[in-house]
Amino acid sequence: MDVSQYLEIFIEETKEHLQSLNEHLLILEREPENEGTINEIFRAAHSLKGMAGTMGYKRMQRLTHDMENVFSEIRNGKMKVSSELVDVLFKGLDALESYLGNIQADSTEGENDNEDIINALNNILNIGLGNTTAKVPEADKKVKAAEVSTDAGNDKMKFKNIKIEDHEKKAMVKAGMLGYNVVGLTVYIQEYCVLKGARAFMVNRTLEESGEIIKLYPSAQDLEDEKYDFDYSAFVITKESPEMIAKVASNVSEVKEVVADIFSLSQEDVTSYTVLLNQDEAAAVQPKTVVKDTGSLKSGNAPTAKAAAKPVANRSVRVDIDKLDVLMNLVSELIIAKNGLISISGATDIMLDNSFHEQIEYLERVTTNLHESVMKTRMVPIESVVNRFPRMIRDLSKNLNKEMELYMTGEETELDRTVIDEIGDPLMHLLRNAADHGLESNEERQRTGKNPTGSIYLDAYQDGNNVVIEVRDDGAGINTEKIKKKAIEKGKISEEQAQTMTDKDIIDILFQPSFSTAEKVTDVSGRGVGLDVVKTKIEALGGEIEAKTKLGEGSNFIIRLPLTLAIIQSLMVIIGKEKYALPLGSIQTVENIHSNEIKTIQGKEVINLRGAVVPIVRLSEILKCQQSDTALEELTVVIVKKGERLAGMVVDELLGQQEIVIKSIGKYIKNHKIISGATILGNGEVALILDVNSLV
Amino acid sequence: MEALDTKQFIIAYLNSEPFGIEIKYIDNIIVMQSITRVPKSQSYFRGVINLRGDIVPVMSLGSKLGIPDTELTSKARIIIVRPEQQAAPVGLIVDEVKEVITLEQNAIEKINYDDKENKGNYSIGIGKYGTDLINLLNISAIVIDKETNI
Repeated sequence: MDVSQYLEIFIEETKEHLQSLNEHLLILEREPENEGTINEIFRAAHSLKGMAGTMGYKRMQRLTHDMENVFSEIRNGKMKVSSELVDVLFKGLDALESYLGNIQADSTEGENDNEDIINALNNILNIGLGNTTAKVPEADKKVKAAEVSTDAGNDKMKFKNIKIEDHEKKAMVKAGMLGYNVVGLTVYIQEYCVLKGARAFMVNRTLEESGEIIKLYPSAQDLEDEKYDFDYSAFVITKESPEMIAKVASNVSEVKEVVADIFSLSQEDVTSYTVLLNQDEAAAVQPKTVVKDTGSLKSGNAPTAKAAAKPVANRSVRVDIDKLDVLMNLVSELIIAKNGLISISGATDIMLDNSFHEQIEYLERVTTNLHESVMKTRMVPIESVVNRFPRMIRDLSKNLNKEMELYMTGEETELDRTVIDEIGDPLMHLLRNAADHGLESNEERQRTGKNPTGSIYLDAYQDGNNVVIEVRDDGAGINTEKIKKKAIEKGKISEEQAQTMTDKDIIDILFQPSFSTAEKVTDVSGRGVGLDVVKTKIEALGGEIEAKTKLGEGSNFIIRLPLTLAIIQSLMVIIGKEKYALPLGSIQTVENIHSNEIKTIQGKEVINLRGAVVPIVRLSEILKCQQSDTALEELTVVIVKKGERLAGMVVDELLGQQEIVIKSIGKYIKNHKIISGATILGNGEVALILDVNSLV
Repeated sequence: MEALDTKQFIIAYLNSEPFGIEIKYIDNIIVMQSITRVPKSQSYFRGVINLRGDIVPVMSLGSKLGIPDTELTSKARIIIVRPEQQAAPVGLIVDEVKEVITLEQNAIEKINYDDKENKGNYSIGIGKYGTDLINLLNISAIVIDKETNI
């Protein structure tokens, strides 16, 4: 079977399963008895194995298979979770990830067999089982004594002795009514077969090509888990003859023999179920057991199982991000065109009646909604990046030999997909920093009277048009004196400069290239390619980063990212004679201030706004616009908010609200950070977008 | 250097002085438009324009080359150039665009310029066209400014 077309889906889904395994293993480590988690792990491992098998990745399949064995025993209560086991399992996950990496790179899984992990798993399994189950028939293969074999004597047609459940009988009768044969068969696998589970899977798949499997004995789950001897039975609803079915099935390699025959129910069964069937023709609810019995091996739409509707699948579609980009660009174009229409309708009021304006307004509403919807399709919860961090912190905790806990909030906060893809590394870096430099050793923490277990916090939340992500620790904080000394040593600053620097200036040094305060280089961090990279990356995303610290109490790195990248609502204003756009998201209010209300404190202009002292920024001076000579009595001040701080921007005139498409002004022009881009107005003019946040 | 024997140049005038821009850099030549000033940019950048829905920065070629600005007439043009095939476009304001000339390789005199002197960098050579000498411009050096660190 050519599976290459499924490769992408395989990779995506494998990632998801690995992530889920990671998360649940972490929970399991803390709560070894949590049944829900064990089940979840088992399910994920199981699906992984199935997928790897289908795609023909043998090594991956083998490893997941052995991991799954362990989970299966845990699930059955036959062994306990030990920290040693969790370590091995994590190693196994890493190995799986590296397989996946290889697959992504060249669609082969690589050559590494990871024998050591498999052996370790099997060892643990043997030890764990040795204590509980006295006899393990084939220790090396860990097959539990299969509970098959109702001992059919010499009769090879074991299926004849299997108890048929009511609903299965019903299905058989129904099949009979529809003119299908019900064929019972028993498959004998060669004793030397290594992957019995996979073999059964192959046979079943072959069978499904010619009919529908309605019952397997042992159950599909057990078959896949190799919980059977060397034979199993199946019932197939098919149009083919039993001989044909037997022939098809025995064509699978390593199958020793297949015996098959028409399976018929007793006459009384047939009549009673025929009646029953006629009664509930609509077949409202099928007992859940159908699904359970046949498990993942069976696709659920036998003539019988039409009622056993599959659980409502995840109602989502995977879409290439490029396609969304195209869509987004088209929406941008549409909005520019709409703005053009609006400005025409404003300019030439003759010949235009009310209905035209109504239509324009309608168009405006539609485009705004369209834009929002497209934006939303691009938004991904930040969870998809941060969910790998608990695992990372756990490993760091072991590596660094420090006790620490990671607390995360706001994982559901959404960001544009392109930002999500890029934000992972910077966050990882900050967390590593917090773990390595931020937190003190356990002994030191105890000495200073802190909780010996360090805490790292990762908080994400939305603030206006920004998403804020904070990485906080309750460690030693940043020692500014130490940085000063180091900076002087490295010649970054002079002694004199150091004297006059504020703490904030000093912390900013941390963001300069090749500056590390760590005394020694560790695996984790300290190579000095740190915070500057973080800063560059975040600025490339249109965001900013800021650090706060208090000696002895911890540090806080605050990242601010723009929520949207392409289209925003803005307030159009005139400054001097030029039009500018101010992003509406950061605007708090607009005030009319009399010029004599402006006071000067420490050489800075401020106003008293309902009890708060708000600094005033004269945009026309900063932007060096042509000033109108007459000093105005009444000033229009736009109050903007950034975090907790407010500032008032003086503008000359307000033009109104407008939806604008952000365009870059290119990299040739030296870009002061107050100008975040440009936009094309309805009449074709270009207006610059001011990042008022940078002035607050 | 190029295998071709000839190169084509567009002749633009700044303060009555001819300059040659090789045709492969040129995207477009448009008439003057309203330019939106960009505060805090390099002094020779006049601002940005809307070129069919794209924002394109525009510089005064004169002030970049240190030639005194003249009053722009209706003959003034913006030459849209790309320093590289895939690079973003930039507009250069010139007083006038006259003609396209073809120069043979041997009619182009390379300049051995001093690295320290920046101005030399803006020129790839002198073209001899009839009796005229034409300064042939180094578009990449003009557009991608070393000082701006991009």
